[in-house]
Amino acid sequence: MMDIPAVEFQDIGKRYGRKVALEGITFTVEPGTVFALLGPNGAGKTTLLHILCTILPPDSGTAKIMGADVVRQPTQARRRLGVVFQQSSLDGRLTVEENLEFHGIVYGVPRALRRRRIAEMLDAVELSDRRAALVQTLSAGLRRRLEIARALIHDARILIMDEPTVGLDARSRENMWRYVDKLRAERGLTVIVTTHYVEEVEGSDKVCIIDHGKILALDTPERLKAMHGQEYIRLVPVDAEAGEAITSRFPDLVTPAPDGLLVRIPDEGFRRSFLLEFGDSISQLSFDRQSLESVFLAITGRQLAPTATTGGTGK
Amino acid sequence: MSAPASTEEQAGPGIIALALGVYAIWLRELKRAIRDRGQLIGGVSRPLLWVLILGIGLNPYFRGEVYGQVRFVIPFTYLQFIFPAVIALNIMYTSVQSAVSLIWDREFGFLREVLVSPMPRVLVMLGKVLGGATVAMLHGCLVLILARFADVPIYPSSIAYGLLLMFLLSFGLTSLGVLIASRVRSFEGFGVFSNAVILPLYFLSSSIFPLDPALSRAQAAIIYPEWLVFLIEINPITYAVDALRGNFIGFNQFAPDLGPMVLVGMCIVFFALAYLDFRRG
Repeated sequence: MMDIPAVEFQDIGKRYGRKVALEGITFTVEPGTVFALLGPNGAGKTTLLHILCTILPPDSGTAKIMGADVVRQPTQARRRLGVVFQQSSLDGRLTVEENLEFHGIVYGVPRALRRRRIAEMLDAVELSDRRAALVQTLSAGLRRRLEIARALIHDARILIMDEPTVGLDARSRENMWRYVDKLRAERGLTVIVTTHYVEEVEGSDKVCIIDHGKILALDTPERLKAMHGQEYIRLVPVDAEAGEAITSRFPDLVTPAPDGLLVRIPDEGFRRSFLLEFGDSISQLSFDRQSLESVFLAITGRQLAPTATTGGTGK
Repeated sequence: MSAPASTEEQAGPGIIALALGVYAIWLRELKRAIRDRGQLIGGVSRPLLWVLILGIGLNPYFRGEVYGQVRFVIPFTYLQFIFPAVIALNIMYTSVQSAVSLIWDREFGFLREVLVSPMPRVLVMLGKVLGGATVAMLHGCLVLILARFADVPIYPSSIAYGLLLMFLLSFGLTSLGVLIASRVRSFEGFGVFSNAVILPLYFLSSSIFPLDPALSRAQAAIIYPEWLVFLIEINPITYAVDALRGNFIGFNQFAPDLGPMVLVGMCIVFFALAYLDFRRG
């Protein structure tokens, strides 16, 4: 389709006072792909997206959207972006349709096309029957859907979503991804998404693991798993004493997990010898095989937020 | 994408598209204002309180009695005197309230939706200020409904010129509100604004008392302290109220041209300052 990348970051740096938020961020996103930024809260994901959306200037480096520099040609850069922010940016006192209409006019979508797109997008996210409802009466899940619809009223080529599923229940989350996949297939969108839910990035084309403002790894999920994925024993000890015994026996291998311990398996024979030794001290046990979560743990040395949290503070 | 499409992209949005964008932002302000019951209630109850209660209540005290002979301080009743000032008051409240909603928009994210759109920042602000100014002007018009009770004659010509003055005042004050809102990082409630900005400006605008109490012999002995006169004279709202008074009841305390000039100056200066702040986000 086009030889210029959808998004291009070149040595981006940003600091808040003396705190370094981003440092030496360089990567490109190919058109039509799904690109996931994975990292714990406060890693710098949101800052990076805000630079891309032109609402925050970088301290150093350049960022381009389909060839348009976000600092020098912000208007042009913004025209190709559809953005779903971490915090809802809908107007609660306007109706569903008025929010979409507003967006269409502000993005300069001609009237006839605007009408058609609004109807299409409302259908796509199954909100047609709520078009006259005030947005403040919608649930969090419905609002998220509306925001995705809104981001695509104009001719957006790149859909940026910052923690789109935070605060949604499992079903809404699944639905949301279904809509995004459908729209992506229809419109050939490039999708850039930040998340700290590992299971959400399994289906993406590229995963960028970011922590403390730096890129730690950038590759396809499969290759990341092959390179860094390690196997773990996930266990719940029978009591605190048993937990301590395991921890002190393998201090280098054990990481505390939200509801128990994670023990890295260093070699083939470990599983057998470990179970022989501690089999009686364990009440629950499973093996984690090469998940992206284990990749993340291997690279950053810490766990991502557990799935159940509703966190997501960012900046 | 084909080549012609990309040359079109280079051209940027047309003037009509940009004007429509301003219109969309303006319309949003209007819709929100209409749906905001609290603002409407304030817009109706404020003139009722000030004109019907304070105005009628103080009406008999606004005249001097010399040897049993009743003389008006100025050749108007108190109701007529404060009527134009109440228009200004209603405009002040609504303008600042609309502008302060910017803090709300920033807090709840809607501002981002506009800021990542292809609309230039200056037009985003223009739409916002025009919207707020329109709502404020309409709230000013709510006061006009009480003109009969205040014995203020209304002619088509005084309405037309009055609307222009009201719009200028609304535009200037909404810009001032945006300027304040850009500098306020946390929203402590509207009460802070009303007590720290609106009421001081209102009371120091010669709105509820004439600048010179010595308009009749009876009050020649009373002179306001210099600091009070000074504060009133440096307050731009004084001249706005004076212009409205000149238009609606034909009474000016200053040169009749001064009011409109100060109003236009206020619009330009406040809008420019507000834009400088707004651009930085």
